[in-house]
Amino acid sequence: MSILKKLLPLDIASGMKLTGKYFGRNFLQANRSKKHIHITVEYPETPISIAPRFRGRLQMLRDEQGEIKCVCCLACEKICPTQVITISKGKKEGRKTPFPTRYDFEMERCIFCEFCVESCGFDSIILNHQFELAAYNREDFSIGMEGQFQDMFRVSPVGQHSISSTKNPDSPDYT
Amino acid sequence: MFKNEELEINLGPQHPSTHGVLRVKLRLDGETIVKCTPIVGYLHRGVEKICENKTFFQGQVWTDRMDYVAAVSNNLGWAESVEKLFGIHVPRRAHYVRTMMTELNRISSHLLWLGTHALDIGAMTVFLYAFREREQILDCFESFCGARLTTTAFRIGGLREDIPPGFIKQVQAFQDRFLDCIDEYETLLTENRIWKRRTIGIAPINADECIAFGVTGPVLRAAGVKYDVRKAFPYAAYAEMNFEIPTRTEADTYARYLVRLEEFRQSHHIIQQCIDGLPEGNVMAKIPKVLKSEVNEIYHPIEAPKGELGYYLVGEKGGQNPYRFHVRGPSFVNLQALPQMTEGRLLADVIAAIGTLDVVLGEVDR
Repeated sequence: MSILKKLLPLDIASGMKLTGKYFGRNFLQANRSKKHIHITVEYPETPISIAPRFRGRLQMLRDEQGEIKCVCCLACEKICPTQVITISKGKKEGRKTPFPTRYDFEMERCIFCEFCVESCGFDSIILNHQFELAAYNREDFSIGMEGQFQDMFRVSPVGQHSISSTKNPDSPDYT
Repeated sequence: MFKNEELEINLGPQHPSTHGVLRVKLRLDGETIVKCTPIVGYLHRGVEKICENKTFFQGQVWTDRMDYVAAVSNNLGWAESVEKLFGIHVPRRAHYVRTMMTELNRISSHLLWLGTHALDIGAMTVFLYAFREREQILDCFESFCGARLTTTAFRIGGLREDIPPGFIKQVQAFQDRFLDCIDEYETLLTENRIWKRRTIGIAPINADECIAFGVTGPVLRAAGVKYDVRKAFPYAAYAEMNFEIPTRTEADTYARYLVRLEEFRQSHHIIQQCIDGLPEGNVMAKIPKVLKSEVNEIYHPIEAPKGELGYYLVGEKGGQNPYRFHVRGPSFVNLQALPQMTEGRLLADVIAAIGTLDVVLGEVDR
């Protein structure tokens, strides 16, 4: 019996049976069965689903009047483990609270830990769902409040041209 | 014309089987290894020194980046050791969620080990099957804390937020199919004659040598020593959990494979207990905004997927950051046993030995 076991590769055959089962199932049923059996998606044509808590790029928020919510308490600047946020305090006509004249965010060193959002007592910043953060120039990673590509309120250069970020209804950049 | 002389070659640092930037200097006599010297430090970032200059809150993000396939375990170690230093008591619900996440992380780390170890030895298929399940776990991490690898999952004093709605359902969906998946890996490998030839009797290290080198984790348990920090010094909610420590006595690569497969089942069992017994309540203890330590020192070990992960913290009076921070990394300590496992054996066994030690170079070099 043991010689027969040694001669016949039954152990390998059982493995082949398993892989054959999956091959047959995918070959015959993929795209036809109503049940979703794909593991992968055809990114970027098919948008991928992002969890609501996903930590993407830092973004500043405006209130209903279009005013910047940030009041320069510098909590995010202090908590940031890699010191990527730099804020300059200033004043604006007709605004009681301090106004950030500069809010620099150096994305190349950001580690997306969300400590800044956590520390913010005014809900004035979020990490949005944007994950396509590549850029062509180094300057594009230095994001501030103004400038063509340096606008914290807009998506990054690559994100602008991406199919998936504009198609994904979960994304805040959905158009 | 042909002389019998020894040849010195480098394995790595850019070799795909060394799992990162590990360089192993090998002195060969024919195909037999005379001397094996692992050279580490290519990925050194000085995490310990960096953390000494950061506050206790900020230091956590560096622990993610040490053992990047088991970031949640590292986060747990940091959070618990800081809590131990300050005497913070964490709510019970937070303990349960932490235990559940850490066990999910253990499964995901072992899945990565299983896939890459089998790939190194020559079984390509298991890699695809293992990553299929790992993907599902990473999706759970993404919905829990927003990131897949560098999680920063926990906070000092508990959790940042409670688990999201639908999270238990997501984990349960994984739980329901995972036991069948383990059977699939077993079908592909356990009885496979090629796998057995490549693993049985390869890279042995007995219990005494393991203890002498300080080797912990599945490598020690495969040598027959029943040591697991989860049982020996219970942390988080492990004291309330019911599980076994799998051990083998063969102390070879095949035994370590079987131990890790059994750990899959035990982790699955622990996660199920966490889901069933998840208590209600808040998830965050009341902690001051600025943590200022007294003169104090602690060592807190946890059972990371690779072995005993210990954090040593020293606080100074009024300090917002640790005066001294030291990590006892399981990968680094386990790697020291590599010469013992390989010297006098064949060159091809080095690949199996590196794979079975399950080293992550981010943690070896730190």
